Amino acid sequence: MKKAVIFTLALTLALTGCSSGLTIFSNYRHLEMIELVRTVTVDSSEDGVTVGIYGTAGEEQEARMYEKSGPSIGVAMNELTLRPLGREAILSHTENMLIGEDLAKTRLDEVLDYVERFSEMRLDTGLLIVRDGTARDLVFGLAGEETPASDVVAGLDRNIARLGRGYVFSCREIAASLAQNGCALVQCVRGEEEEKLFEKRGDLNLAPAGMAVMRPDSTVGFLSDEETLGAMLILGKLRSCNLDVPVDDAVLTLSVDNVKSDIKPVFSKDGKLQRAEIKLSLEANLVSMDGLVDVRTRDVRERAEKALSDKVKSACDAAVRRGPALGFDFLDLGGILTRREPIAMEDMGVSWKEVFPSLPVEVEVESVLMRTYDIIDPPEISGREEGTPWEKLTDSLRDS
Amino acid sequence: MGKTDRLTERQLTVLIFVSLLSPMIRILPTAAVTLGGRASWLSALAALPAGALLLAILRALTKNAPEGLGLADMAILGWGPVAGRIFAILCALWLTFYGGFLARSAAERLLSTVYPNGTTPVFIVTMLAVSILAAAGLTKTLSRTAEVLMPILLAVILVVLISAAPEVSGENLLPVTYRNWKDILYGAIPIFNVTAAHAYFLFLRGYVTKTTPGKRKVFPWLGLLIFIAFAVTLFTLGTLGTNLSITMENAFFMVIRNIKVFGVVERVEAVVVAIWIVTDFIFLSAILMIVAEVWKTVTGVKRRAFFVWPGAALSGAAAFLIARDAFDFLKWSDYIVPVINLTFTVALIPLALAVGKVRKKY
Repeated sequence: MKKAVIFTLALTLALTGCSSGLTIFSNYRHLEMIELVRTVTVDSSEDGVTVGIYGTAGEEQEARMYEKSGPSIGVAMNELTLRPLGREAILSHTENMLIGEDLAKTRLDEVLDYVERFSEMRLDTGLLIVRDGTARDLVFGLAGEETPASDVVAGLDRNIARLGRGYVFSCREIAASLAQNGCALVQCVRGEEEEKLFEKRGDLNLAPAGMAVMRPDSTVGFLSDEETLGAMLILGKLRSCNLDVPVDDAVLTLSVDNVKSDIKPVFSKDGKLQRAEIKLSLEANLVSMDGLVDVRTRDVRERAEKALSDKVKSACDAAVRRGPALGFDFLDLGGILTRREPIAMEDMGVSWKEVFPSLPVEVEVESVLMRTYDIIDPPEISGREEGTPWEKLTDSLRDS
Repeated sequence: MGKTDRLTERQLTVLIFVSLLSPMIRILPTAAVTLGGRASWLSALAALPAGALLLAILRALTKNAPEGLGLADMAILGWGPVAGRIFAILCALWLTFYGGFLARSAAERLLSTVYPNGTTPVFIVTMLAVSILAAAGLTKTLSRTAEVLMPILLAVILVVLISAAPEVSGENLLPVTYRNWKDILYGAIPIFNVTAAHAYFLFLRGYVTKTTPGKRKVFPWLGLLIFIAFAVTLFTLGTLGTNLSITMENAFFMVIRNIKVFGVVERVEAVVVAIWIVTDFIFLSAILMIVAEVWKTVTGVKRRAFFVWPGAALSGAAAFLIARDAFDFLKWSDYIVPVINLTFTVALIPLALAVGKVRKKY
């Protein structure tokens, strides 16, 4: 028996190797033979769908793009991955997927279905809808000699939650939301023509374009920038953003950070759901100032905080109003309220679907201006142009 | 059983633990979520007392049995030579089929997770071939293999869970209230069913030396198995949500597909799956070994290895014939096999032992 085992093991060694054919190491590919895909586009086309893959630029800084049409994503992708100009496409590290608005309107479920089934792709791939055009045209427009489209898309994915312009939900988050809530938010982008400040960049600039409220097979509607900001604030997806608020004759640019939202239902004595309350608390920091106000005074700070709260409340109100208008609870308020008061929500006697369209939602925002970063006392504010910063600081402390 | 093929109770327990990891990871969380819904992440905890109770009952029933007797011997003692043999053969036939089911399910899982263009026969034949070698060897060797592999398996599971933790969201897990107690219990059924499979290993009881200490360490291993079931369900539901998890056959693998180990290594699922094949291999080997042991006891033939090859051949036939495709196979894995499994482990085996106990045969 031992001899048989040793012989079998020895035989398996003979099957190994880098060549194609009978080998247990058949998955081996030379580095120059593979195309590491970072971005995938899917658009509607006359044939059905057009799928595009966009590889890594690597040291060559060369954007490589391949596309193929077919009756379905599976067929087009298979054609594409198996013979893109002599390279084999590896989709296992795809970062983002862009789908054209036309396709998203009717076939979002097909895209998600493909990503779920195809073991090479990850469910955590970011999904974006391209508005006013095709994903293919957008990516071709973005690609420049020194600005690979994948880098541009990845940059937006990384930073959009810090701009207050949206959030790139992953296929997993979208699929889970569709399965759980019946609708999902999907980040939209569009290509904007801008002056080319250097020759080697692409013709288009990638810009956030609000969010789409999606059903598996249809588009419910689109959120404006303000509604998108409100939705992100309520859902706790905003990492930070800069907002301008007027205070007296100046305009303060405040960075909004550490947003915390507390959403709870309010019931009447007989157990009926009266309203939902959304309380947002956020911290703000002074980023820049256009004009002169003395932010060291409590009064000015309170006015700045109120102006910021009003602005944030307006965004949140807009997002909250949009749900009943579209007929879909895209903020998943029903889920949030149920998690907060599960028993009372279950006992209220009517379903959330019935209550949701007419349920009053009150938004309350509390802002606190935390700091002005390193600039404590700009000379323009104090009116003194002489003295070292240290002297100013000690004077200021003495005065206070 | 020869004097050289002896193992400690701890070794048998580790063999059981590593073996049961295979079905536990295969069925969870889908089986639990399908029955228990959102609350099923708590089901593993509910399965713990039931699993411990069955374990305690089986231990109580075998407590005074003489050393060197396996379940087949005890059934023959308790029920008489004819009825006892019929019972043992019934178990062997079921376990032969179950072995085929395990091989097929491992193959199906490999195809749906990392080898989409493969075919089941390749995996079934390979698994059976390797398992035959293990099953034909000493019980001690298989147990030692399980002992050696166990820390690696636990380390992989730990790394996977730590890496998946950032994606877990409380929103997907809550609300769960006292009103969900029925859901929690329903979800516990498949988890209990897996833990109950330790009853089959009573057929190998005769190889355990009673002189070695460590009896009380059996329960912590059951606890660890349940904890892994709890963690797998919690992390999968917390990442994918209830409704999305239900739609997937291998939801936990979907979570693994997404993980980044400490933010620097991606796409580790092939490695994880490759390591989990080890649990399939151990379990299948153990089942083939048990089948051979039963036939050895029933027929009185001295060499157990003699029965391994025919048993494996029948299991292979079952693996091929059980279902035409993955859809047919689902019916077996979702309904038929769990029900038969539960019938054997919770009813027939304890009953077989209880009869002998009542008749004061041991």
